[in-house]
Amino acid sequence: MSDGFEILEGLIRQAVIRNGVVASNIANVDTPNYKAKDVHFGNALDDAFIQLKTTHAQHLKGGNSGGSEDVTIETTEPWADKNNVELDVEVEKMTENALLFQAGVTLFSTKVKLYKNALGR
Amino acid sequence: MDSFGMFKVSASALEAQRKRMNVIASNMANVHSTRTEEGGPYKKRDIVFAAMTVESNPENMYGVKVDDVITDNTPPKMVYDPSHPDANKEGYVAMPDINIVEEMTNMMMAFRAYEASVSAFNMSKAMVEKALELGKS
Repeated sequence: MSDGFEILEGLIRQAVIRNGVVASNIANVDTPNYKAKDVHFGNALDDAFIQLKTTHAQHLKGGNSGGSEDVTIETTEPWADKNNVELDVEVEKMTENALLFQAGVTLFSTKVKLYKNALGR
Repeated sequence: MDSFGMFKVSASALEAQRKRMNVIASNMANVHSTRTEEGGPYKKRDIVFAAMTVESNPENMYGVKVDDVITDNTPPKMVYDPSHPDANKEGYVAMPDINIVEEMTNMMMAFRAYEASVSAFNMSKAMVEKALELGKS
């Protein structure tokens, strides 16, 4: 029963972690030798608790790669100061991430409402 | 996990960019200064940033700090102005070698970076506020 909440909690936690990583990239937009970092939700959310059940050999399996904090270093071509942060890309990531976070929070609230309705309150 | 680490990251960036702005402003203000406390014309300053780990969350989040302010030791620009009190025998004055266009470009970059960090800060703040409302309906 509580599975849904766990998944949403995971989603929200990942969004917060990614926001921190993107904020670091933005902060270091002019730091020589700094390399942009990112967290990959795909990997992170394929964690054990979100794996889909497979009842047939041909069903697609949810992967199990990566831990909950899968930070990767971007390998795009760096500028002359050996820094490869691209501000527009980072702002785009930040916006996308905020929407994902919003989605998580909205779903969470909806789920709470659902249980409240079931309890007749 | 520290939910407030991201605020520290953005705040460190705001501080660093503000210091950069101060250096740029000094350079622009002293474009014609021929006398300084250490003697000779003003020397251009440059700022060096370095990534720093934010306490309590060392692995993913990096703030930024001003690592050093370096003095540019390129020789001064000799300008012909015999009426200037600091002119030498040939009538040349040693002026700081500051390129106003370069300083303006740096200023714009500092401003944009500052702006981006303010947005990041606001975004983090909105997220934390939303998280506090979790489960309310």
